[in-house]
Amino acid sequence: MVSARLALFAILLAVPLIWGSFTAYQLGLFLLYGIVAQGIALCWGRAGFLPLGQALFFGIGAYLGGGAMKFAGESWLVLSPLLVGACLVPALLAWAIGILVFNRQVGNGPYFALITLALSMLGLQLANSLEWLTGGFNGMTGIPGLPGIDSYGGLYYVIVPVLALTTLALAHLLRSPFGQLLSAIAQNEERLQFLGFRTSGFKALAFAISAGLAGIAGVLFAAHDGIVTPQSVGYLLSAELVIWTAVGGRSSLLGPVIGAVLIGYLTAELRDTFPYWEIVVASVFIVVVLRFPNGIAGLGERLSWLSRRSLPRQANPERDIAIAPLEREEGTTLSFQDVHVRMNGVRILNGLDLSIRARGIQCIIGPNGAGKTSAFNVLTGRLPATSGEIVWRGRPIAGRKPFRVARLGIARKFQVPSVFPDLTVGQNIDIALWANRLSFVQLFSLGAYRWRTAVLASLERLFPELADPSVLARELSLGQRQMLEFAMTNLVEPQLMLLDEPCAGLSTEETSRMIEAISALATEYGWAVLIIEHDMRVVERLSDHVYVLHLGARLAEGSMEAIKADEAVRAIYSGGSK
Amino acid sequence: MEMFPLYAMNLLYTIATLGLIVLGLAVVFGFLGVMNMAHGEFIMIGAYSAVFVQQAGYYPLLAIPLALVVCAIVGWLVEWGIVRHLYRRPFDTLLATWGLAILMRKCIEIAFGRKYRSIDQILPGTVGFAGIDYPSYRLALMVAIALFFAALFIWYRRSNTGARIKAMMSNPELAAAVGIDTARLARGAFVFGTCSAGLAGVLMAPLVRVEPYMGIDYLLSSFFVLVVGGLGSIQGLVTGAAVIGGTNVSISTLSGATGGYLAVLLISIVFLWLKPNGIYSRG
Repeated sequence: MVSARLALFAILLAVPLIWGSFTAYQLGLFLLYGIVAQGIALCWGRAGFLPLGQALFFGIGAYLGGGAMKFAGESWLVLSPLLVGACLVPALLAWAIGILVFNRQVGNGPYFALITLALSMLGLQLANSLEWLTGGFNGMTGIPGLPGIDSYGGLYYVIVPVLALTTLALAHLLRSPFGQLLSAIAQNEERLQFLGFRTSGFKALAFAISAGLAGIAGVLFAAHDGIVTPQSVGYLLSAELVIWTAVGGRSSLLGPVIGAVLIGYLTAELRDTFPYWEIVVASVFIVVVLRFPNGIAGLGERLSWLSRRSLPRQANPERDIAIAPLEREEGTTLSFQDVHVRMNGVRILNGLDLSIRARGIQCIIGPNGAGKTSAFNVLTGRLPATSGEIVWRGRPIAGRKPFRVARLGIARKFQVPSVFPDLTVGQNIDIALWANRLSFVQLFSLGAYRWRTAVLASLERLFPELADPSVLARELSLGQRQMLEFAMTNLVEPQLMLLDEPCAGLSTEETSRMIEAISALATEYGWAVLIIEHDMRVVERLSDHVYVLHLGARLAEGSMEAIKADEAVRAIYSGGSK
Repeated sequence: MEMFPLYAMNLLYTIATLGLIVLGLAVVFGFLGVMNMAHGEFIMIGAYSAVFVQQAGYYPLLAIPLALVVCAIVGWLVEWGIVRHLYRRPFDTLLATWGLAILMRKCIEIAFGRKYRSIDQILPGTVGFAGIDYPSYRLALMVAIALFFAALFIWYRRSNTGARIKAMMSNPELAAAVGIDTARLARGAFVFGTCSAGLAGVLMAPLVRVEPYMGIDYLLSSFFVLVVGGLGSIQGLVTGAAVIGGTNVSISTLSGATGGYLAVLLISIVFLWLKPNGIYSRG
């Protein structure tokens, strides 16, 4: 891949010498669009959300850059800080929009895409109407270009290195923990939240980076064309950028550039002579969406001899940096105080009172519909409490967002194992290790891939199934996925671990090992464990204290012997009269 | 004192037309979870049906059956060829229909050219009441839309099909298990959505600029109405149309079209931020 990229850039640098400077001038425009498309691919191919109005940031960069060049004239000293600002403004704007929208919208629904589209429409209207600022419909004209750099000659030798730089920077970004977390967001954003990651911040940052790239391209565009018109912010350009990204390949680094150059250049050539060309492009786009999500780059990979080997997977670096255990304050107390949850007239929790003890393994049992999983949901912020309070270590936490609850030391394993299916076992483990630990700087350095902890060593001993870090999580059996998610829940080193039927789908032998693992880890590291379990043998072997839930409230609690003797519990389990 | 009745009529007119425009998108998004990005283009097809009928010199109202037939055929083909395969990939339906929107715009551009068209009024003249003269066509349109919505509401409440749709929405597997043909129902809902968009296009054509790129405005204003009103009720749809239409008309009157658009956009972002499931959601 590296040699292919080098060859490509060598060819790009040779273009003016071979095909002349006019071809290079035309090509330069589409290389700039390619940079914008790279940013779209970062958001869409990586993090899974689609910015549909990316021309807005391109256009803002172009207007600001053009204005700066007109203002500064020939002075690089004045111009350079202004140009940096012209690239930063779109990035900051995108960051603000991202925070605003992503904080409320988990997942990748259509809302974000349509909001960005609407913003691009607004940009078009403003660019048209604010004549004193933008020159209105006729555009901002007479932009002198970069001092000392001929737009028809030297500028091409600025554009190509900038493209090389953005490509290198993005390649590093995608390799870094940040890139891996973006992939995880696209696959299972909720899981990240329950590990304690504030995913909206990562998405907003990715969006800001993409807008910054669009801004850089916009500034160079102003120098390249010498004129900026409202079309540069409009939705038509936005739409074309998305098409180029899709057709070129949204999961690849240079695919979007190839898409922009190929389709963009052909469109510019054929638009006037072959009227059906754009119909062809739109049809190709639809087919790509339906059948070839990785576009030209994906096809190329499939055809090349590389594909005959096993999929190129990231080499797992040795885990040789020992990380100290997380420091947690002593003393765990959790109490549900008269918690009610009502949804559409159905009473899910009906005055639940529970006090969870500081240490040891405790089980929640109860018939189907008793509110066991709902109790977990309301505790971890997945379900809003209608009334009542949940107090964790003296602090009220009802109604907090999942990532905030997770950061307080409450980790959760779901009933249906929830992992990142298209990441490897090693990458899943990385992410759990990073939770509540990774600093902003470490987000962009490769050192965090080498972390190991005492808990990880214990887990590797207990679950040899997870020894091969290069297996994709989706290729694991149900039981192995249970183990992986259990391991991840432990790796965040919680104070309270919530396990929702951890032995579901496990064989008898695996169940025994899971029970041993739970009890060994809880003893060794001293965290409290609360388990929902149906299998009474499991409950008996694990738990010294049992809570019985029925109809959304606590029916009984005590040792297993006491529960077995309880008349009310026997009545609901054996179907006797109440 | 002439200002107020005129303003009130304009407001009612905006809400009524916005309601008609958003209906198709709301049905397709609400019932099927598909954000049909080509919704505006089906409205455009409706408007160009009126252009075609006028060019050919036929009776203007013939545009309605023409638009319904064209939109039904195109909608059926799109559901069969594209959307059907993507019900479990809602994000991809957004993209595929976005590509479709571009395709439809280009086809119309080739067939009719890019220039603006205007459609002759079917009911020229005005009606005088409450001290103002109001265009008769607008009045007739408002009455027709109100009747259409009332009929639709009653049909959805009373009919078997309405019950089946509700069943499909709340539990598609169970609905299929008790013998409801959900695939056919989904196709029906999609085609209904495209046809209602086509109808809106014909009816709006005499009052707006008809051009190949007109759809995007309708898509976005429909989307804003859905954001404010939420999914799933006619009440929400009307409230959403009232909030969006009211804001747009009021602010545009005071400070121009850009201001109106900006206000609508801000309101939508505020709703996404505070009430992501619409105005009638709790919490």
